[in-house]
Amino acid sequence: MEFKDYYHELGVARDAPAEEVKKAYRKLARKYHPDVSKEPDAEKRMKELNEAYAVLSDPEKRAAYDQLGRGYRPGQDFRPPPDWDAGFEFSERGVPGAEAADFSDFFAELFGRMGEPARGPAAHGRGGYHHAKILLDLEDAYTGATRQISLRMPRIDANGRVVLDTRTLNVKIPRGIREGQIIRLAGQGAAGLGKGKAGDLLLEVHFKPHDRLRADGRDLLLTLPVAPWEAALGAVVPVNLPDGTLKVRIPAGAQSGSELRVRGRGIPSDPPGDLLLEIRVVLPPASTPKACELYETMAREMPFDPRRDSEA
Amino acid sequence: MSDDVILIGRIEEGACFTLEELCAACALEQEWVIRRVEEGLFPVSGSAAAEWRFNRVALSRARRMREIERDFDAVPELAALVADMLEEMDELRARLRRAGLA
Repeated sequence: MEFKDYYHELGVARDAPAEEVKKAYRKLARKYHPDVSKEPDAEKRMKELNEAYAVLSDPEKRAAYDQLGRGYRPGQDFRPPPDWDAGFEFSERGVPGAEAADFSDFFAELFGRMGEPARGPAAHGRGGYHHAKILLDLEDAYTGATRQISLRMPRIDANGRVVLDTRTLNVKIPRGIREGQIIRLAGQGAAGLGKGKAGDLLLEVHFKPHDRLRADGRDLLLTLPVAPWEAALGAVVPVNLPDGTLKVRIPAGAQSGSELRVRGRGIPSDPPGDLLLEIRVVLPPASTPKACELYETMAREMPFDPRRDSEA
Repeated sequence: MSDDVILIGRIEEGACFTLEELCAACALEQEWVIRRVEEGLFPVSGSAAAEWRFNRVALSRARRMREIERDFDAVPELAALVADMLEEMDELRARLRRAGLA
């Protein structure tokens, strides 16, 4: 296990007063707040900051950490000596359930052994719910899938210690799943206390960005490039979807930016969503003498001024 | 559990969580939520606490409000205001994504 230097993570000296620790944490919490931060690893940093602050903001934990960590460097291999915490009284025991899963093994090893778990949601015996995001491909909504996910979950062992388990679960992703839905796996959250029931695992569904397709609830959005003559004269064009190719009729006179709705061909839920095609007319380049000639013929023989309406 | 077991979950949508479940999912005391609902800082449907139902937006709202209150010693009203703005931002970002602009 690697030793974690919480002082280094918050950027404060080892003898920094509590007020300074708080100030440093707040400054960094603002910088790395996952909802607003532009930093690439904001979420990971925020978890590290929360962990560091959970220790350094609590006088008892900080004192224990200071005693134990003397002489260690960040990243150095670390094993706490047995009964190292014997001389300390911890008023707030254990790790708060919902956050414990985000903390490191180092934290769990040190502070997970402090007797009974935190009161609160787990006090009546029911295990904590675990809420995680699951990132799926849009294709999964068409075909259904089985995904393997790994989760870190706190558990109370036989000695009353909180240990972090990594659990791997195979989860069935049903066809027709949509962004924002929650897959509830009953009894797969944190274990209960005593005879208490285990909590549920809640997986919040999100789709990875797709290079062509976007989902809007049940509907599927797609930009469809068409040639000028397809738009002007109408045409039947193939559209590639995750479950195959669909032939779509472009009505004559379609303009760039207009939207075609194909009923029932969106995400195949019950009822199925619609497929929304945004028409984008793409001009062929005038890159050959023949192409130039065709454009010149159109310019000469078609009375057309695209700015006529806008200059009125 | 053996590795080849495939778990089949229930798909939840809309206001599907009870007060107890919201608290279990966000590591909150029920009292904390009740106080904020009574002060109008936490929107909910249903009149008595036993009838309250929460959706997934409420799950992230509860977590955000708790973190803002705790991390910045913010009063609940300020945490609710920040949560309102973050929710608005989520909505705008979702619209950008739908328009293919993000």
